[in-house]
Amino acid sequence: MWQLPADEAVLTRAWRAALPFPHVVIEDFMAPAALPALLEILDEEGVEPYAGDLFAFDATAPEPKTAELRAVRAAFGAALAGPLSRITGKPVARADLRAYAYRVGHYLLPHTDHQDGLARVLAFAYYLPTPEPPRGGELELYRCTVGADGAYTATDSALVIEARANRLVVFDVSDVSLHQVREVRGGVRLSLAGWFYA
Amino acid sequence: MEVSAEAKIEELFGARLATEVPEVVGRALAAEIRERIARAGYTRYALYDRGSYDVGAPPDEPALLAALAALATKETGRELHVVEARVLRLRAGDYLLAHHDVLRTGSPVEVTLELSPRGVPGAEVHYRRRGQVFFACGATPGAAAIVERGPSVSCNHTYVSQQHPDAEIVRLVALLTEPK
Repeated sequence: MWQLPADEAVLTRAWRAALPFPHVVIEDFMAPAALPALLEILDEEGVEPYAGDLFAFDATAPEPKTAELRAVRAAFGAALAGPLSRITGKPVARADLRAYAYRVGHYLLPHTDHQDGLARVLAFAYYLPTPEPPRGGELELYRCTVGADGAYTATDSALVIEARANRLVVFDVSDVSLHQVREVRGGVRLSLAGWFYA
Repeated sequence: MEVSAEAKIEELFGARLATEVPEVVGRALAAEIRERIARAGYTRYALYDRGSYDVGAPPDEPALLAALAALATKETGRELHVVEARVLRLRAGDYLLAHHDVLRTGSPVEVTLELSPRGVPGAEVHYRRRGQVFFACGATPGAAAIVERGPSVSCNHTYVSQQHPDAEIVRLVALLTEPK
């Protein structure tokens, strides 16, 4: 179902060299034949609107309602924990995920995902095909300059990654992994996203 | 005397004033004030984990600030004076997050005067208690929001959608307390 490139050394080098903070972008991540079944599971699960000062989007519940999506979550974690541990040098054991639908006007403002006590090690976003591909909705990574007291003194846009269908992006979670989902200006941006934990 | 749990909860989270007074300034006066503020200059704030907006020079508007203090005094029944004032300008794509807000001790009053030339859908000021929005304002040009703050109250200015590329939100935010 999930397919990482066979040559992990290439991904390891890409991870280490990536700026502004470690990440990898993997194309054609899912076998096309498996996509209809996944989309059917997500359709059955359903999404609801969520909004806060940081975000506005539609998403599945934090804990999947259906056994099928729980199984997808478990399979995703089981399939990727080993390879990602080797590629990133950060041991991870399990994944958490939700499905997201960003419609016109939806966004997720800059944040790091890092929270003490949550033990998030890696973050990921996998973009699903949609009948109307999104305009906007890119993942934007920031370069953070940190002062002696640990506070940011500057944040600058460093990289914009398009939310292209069947693309997986995995990135580091740290106190400088500042990123956002740009506002969607047209179409729909569908994704599975979440974190890997130690 | 021992204070009951209910009284403590009321003291901490109970009903404080949060209201919006319409038509505090007219369009022409708002335009004049915006012009003076713009002449004094804006500085870009861009630590994106906190906010993205322009901040104006401290407003040299003694008559306006005195009028806002009088309005807040009338609305709250407390004798108030301005201890701090700033001007914020937000355009499409701008925002101020709640964790960028300064939590206030005591019970100061915050007055947010909407000097924007026109309302922008969804561009609001949200006051939150323990993360939950209890008062939203900011969509009406010329109106002033008056909120009694406390240690559990935070504030954010919502994201201004790119769907409104010409949006210009100008807000004068004044903090008022009783004289010591």
